[in-house]
Parts: sequence; C-alpha cells; structure tokens
Amino acid sequence: MTKTTLYFLVAMMVLLGISGFLIFAQFNKQINERADKELMYEELQWVNYLEAATFNGSRVVLQMGELLIYPSDKPVTESPQLSTIYGDKVNDKTQIPFRQLNDVVNINGTNYQIVIRKSQEQKLALVTSILTILAIVFIALLIATLIFNWIISKRLWQPFQTSLVKIRNIGLPQVSTIQFEETNTKEFNELNASLNTMVRKIHSDYVTMKEFTEDAAHEMQTPLAVAQTKLELLLQDTSLDATQTETIAQATQALGRLSKLNQSLLLLAKIENQQYEATGTIDLAETTQKYLRLFDEIIKEKQLSVETIFNGNFQVKIHPFLADSLISNLIANAIKYNCKSGKLRISVSDEEYCISNTSELGAIDPQMLFRRFGGGTNARNVSTGLGLAIVKRIADKNNLSVAYRFLDDMHSFCLKKIL
Amino acid sequence: MKILIIEDEKELQRSIQKYLEYQGFVCEAVNDFISGVEKVEQYDYDCVVVDINLPNGNGLDIVKMLKEIGSKSGIIVISARNALEDKLAGLELGSDDYLTKPFHLSELNARIHAIIRRRNFGGNKIISFNEIRLDPEAQSVAVESKPVDLTEKEYRLLEYFIANRGRVLTKAAIAAHVWGDEYEQVNQYDFMYTHIKNLRKKMIEAGAGDYIKTVHGVGYRFTDTGLNK
Repeated sequence: MTKTTLYFLVAMMVLLGISGFLIFAQFNKQINERADKELMYEELQWVNYLEAATFNGSRVVLQMGELLIYPSDKPVTESPQLSTIYGDKVNDKTQIPFRQLNDVVNINGTNYQIVIRKSQEQKLALVTSILTILAIVFIALLIATLIFNWIISKRLWQPFQTSLVKIRNIGLPQVSTIQFEETNTKEFNELNASLNTMVRKIHSDYVTMKEFTEDAAHEMQTPLAVAQTKLELLLQDTSLDATQTETIAQATQALGRLSKLNQSLLLLAKIENQQYEATGTIDLAETTQKYLRLFDEIIKEKQLSVETIFNGNFQVKIHPFLADSLISNLIANAIKYNCKSGKLRISVSDEEYCISNTSELGAIDPQMLFRRFGGGTNARNVSTGLGLAIVKRIADKNNLSVAYRFLDDMHSFCLKKIL
Repeated sequence: MKILIIEDEKELQRSIQKYLEYQGFVCEAVNDFISGVEKVEQYDYDCVVVDINLPNGNGLDIVKMLKEIGSKSGIIVISARNALEDKLAGLELGSDDYLTKPFHLSELNARIHAIIRRRNFGGNKIISFNEIRLDPEAQSVAVESKPVDLTEKEYRLLEYFIANRGRVLTKAAIAAHVWGDEYEQVNQYDFMYTHIKNLRKKMIEAGAGDYIKTVHGVGYRFTDTGLNK
C-alpha cells in the first residue's frame, strides 16, 4: 500500500464520518417533521373532541398512555411547543427518545394544557443502520482502493515500468537504439519525450567523446611515426659517433614508449566505450599457454621457473582481442617485475585464474595498484604504468573480478567470475 | 624494383622513400588520393604502399581499384588506425599486409621484400647476400652451397638482416619482427644477444663473413663494408 493510498483512506474516514453525521441530521429532521405533523394533527383531533366534550361547561382531564390533557392556569401559547425528550432507561441501556407536543389552548373559556408524546424508537435503529452502512461503504472503499491501486500500478504505470527497465538495462554504446514509446498517459508521454531528448544528447556527447579520444590518439600516431622514422634514418648516418648514435637510440626508445602509451590509452578508451563485444567463449588457460610460448625467450633469459597448475577450464565470454590483452598484460607484468631465477606460478580452476610471481618489491598498496599510472615509484624504467589499469578495465567490463594478494613473498593476481 | 608510396604526411613519405631507395628500390611518391589513382592507372609497380586516410579519398578504394584492374603489384596498407575492422577490411580487399603507424622503416622494408618475393610467381625466390643463399620457402640457408643448420629465430634474424643490409637496426625493431610486438610490453631485449651470438658463430663457422656488427647501445648492423674480402 502506497503512502497516497493511506492518505486517501484517512481522508475517506473523515469524510465518511461527516457524511454519516449529515445523513443522520437529515433523517432526524425528517423524522421529527413527520412526527410533528402527526402530533399537530392528533392535537387538532383532541381539541375538536374537547370542544365537543366541554360544550356543556364541564372540565375534562384526560390521561391515557402518551396523552395528557388537563385544565391549566397557564396562558394560551401562540403555537404548540415541539421538543425531543428522553424517556426512562429501558433495561438500563438506552433511553428511548420521544417527540413531545406541549400546548395550552383555550377551549370554551377554559385553558387546557395538552401534552402528546410519540415514541421515536426508530431513531435508534437509524443510527445503527447508518453506522452499519458506513462501515460497509468504508470496507468496500478500502478493498476498491487496494484493487484500483494494484490495477493502476500494474496497468497505468506499465509504460513507466517499461521505461525504467529500458534505462536500467542499457549500456552506453547501445544508447542510440533506445526509444521510449508513446503511451496513453500524457504525463508519461512528457517523461518519455524528455527521456528521448536526454538519450539523444547523451548519445551525441558519448559519440563526441569517443571520437575525440580516438581521434586524439590517432592524430598523435602520425607525428610519432614521422619522428620515429626520422630518427631511424638519422641512425643510419655514418658520420655520427658512437655517443650520438646511442643518444638517438635512446630518443627512439622513448618515442617507442610514447607510442605504446598512446596505444594503451586508446585501448583503455575503447574498452571503456565497450567497443569490444564478446563474440564467444574463450578458455583463458589456452591463451595463457600461447603467451607463455611467446614469452619463452625472456622467461629463459630471466631463468624463471614456471609452474602451471591447470585444474580446470577458466571459460570467459570475452572478445578474443581483450582475452589476449588481459593475459599478455598479466604475464608480462609477472615477468617484468620478477627477479632473476624467480618463480612464476599460474593456477587455473573452473572458478579462478591466479597468476603469482616473486619480486624484489614488497607488497603493493592494492588501492593504488589498478589506477592509471598508479605504479608511480615502482615503475622504474620500462612500464607504461597502464598494464594493470587495462587488466582491471577488461575484468570490469567482462564480469570478472581481479584481486591482488601478497602471500608467501609472492604477488598474486586472481581473476574470478562474477555471477 | 618499383614502389609507389601514397602517403599524405610529407615527412613520413620522404622518410619511407629515402629508406627504401637506399635499399635499392625505385620509389615514386604521391600525397593524395587522386594522384594515387592516376599513378596506379598508368604504371605498374612491384609494390604499393598506401595510407588509409588520404585527402580526397580512402586508401582502401585504391586497394579495391588495383584488384579490379587485375594489378599484380603487392599492396601494403599503412594506417594510424589500429582497429581490427580496418585491418580486416584491408586484407579482405586484397592487400597483402597491414602496418600500424608508427612503424619501423626496417619493418616496412622487410615486409615489402617478403611481398615482392611471394608475388614473384615462378621467378627466382632465393635471397642472396655475397656467399649466403636463403630459400624462404624451405626456410633453409646455405653458405657457398653448403647448408647451415639454423633455428627458426636465427633464420628470421638473418632474413631481416639481409633485407635491411647496411642499416642500423634497433633491438626494439628486431625484437618486434622476430619475436612479435608483445615483446615491447616487457621491453627487455637481453635475450636477443644469445641468438645473435649463435647465428654469428654458425655463419662464420660455415665460412661466411662476419657481417653482424654490434652498434653499442643501439642494436645491430648487417654489413660487408669494412671487411677484407
């Protein structure tokens, strides 16, 4: 039950109470009027009777049931007084109301006091009836409200729910495909129209952003290519001495890093823009084997002992390029920061993929680890500082969690599927 | 052998031309789509190096055109875009190779050599350098007709060296060509030394000249100048 419904019901209770009172007052008035007419008519009859009976000058006293007539010294009243009085309690429970006529009339020279009563027991029943009816109405109203509420939220809010589900499930790249339909409700149409406008705006902003990131990276590649080729040509100059060539080589290396960095940033932007949709399922254990073979030279060179424990298949729904990028970054990282004759252990089960390596470096602050350029002080020489940021980004976008542990002098990175 | 370079970035175009001419190619260079189209319509080239983003057009359309007119020239697409779709589009249209900017000139040169050799149907595919003969199809090497037993990496090193004879090659360029781009992630090339040492030893033992020169702090150069032959 919503707040609105609750307020509605409270208001209904008050209104029903007021209407009950009004109904009662109206009925009361009508009953009284009717009773009064009857009393007046009765009085008229009695007056007629009295006039006939006292014609001979005799005085009459009448007392029978609800009638009392006796000679009185009181002055003649202009009109009969009508009032409601309450009789004695019946069974100590309720007092029966009476309508009473009080009148002093002059009949044949004598003033007579006429008192006529009429029981109005039906008034008691009236109150009960009204209360019963009100109770029934209230209950009916409550049920109706609940049903209406249910129907409203089911039916009327249906377009709203549809829009909500649409918004909730949409990713940025597909945002342009979203369309909020016309509905039968003006308010929802307004909402949906605004949502449509908003979505168009978000999409165009997104496209602009995406294009900017990509264009910026691309535009940088050409001058980089020019610089790199110029240096490569310069390197061929035989008139240069050894120091000069070495300097050029160092510049080339720096340029190489810059270009690599640029490509990594571009990759990050593309992953963030979800430009790599998963096409199929890939067994990361296989990707791992591929890269271990590829990095074989450097593993031998560093005399690393590689231990692979494949207890299962770590199957992931991921774009093949991202699978390659993820694994190559993890392995390259484990090799790069390994010490000479260190250990490299990769354990794969159905649920988890872990890669551990020894290192001269101590435990790393996990907070800083996955941030771009977060390696900071540790990124001694060669790393772009983006490797782990890429790993994290790929994991995030493919329902994987990546955790860092430092255990038994081994740095471990573990991938797990988020279900 | 004639090469056409279609690249709008003047300086890059000049660098490519200079490097390739030094390696013995005859080069022509244009810097926009229309002149590119004119050139390929009028002349035959052994290889066309074409950029994707050109003024007035898309380099891929030139690839399409070359295929339509039944040209026999090899095609290398170069682009700043590393996008997979571009690569695939280029290869599907019939280009022989795809290089992403920035690239090593030595790599471009090696690829042009490889393409021309592959396209040289029925012709002589043997690569030779003085007394050394390389058979790319069999991946075998002979010095004065005597076979030399090289590992796969040693063979690739030698092939790369010969294609870029006389040039100073950086370790990064060599590693990227022989071991793959992934090695740039690790950025340590010490392992290369062993392979080059072995190759050099095997070649000298087989009777070839000591052509592999170490350029300190840079890389290597394969040359016969300065040798007493």
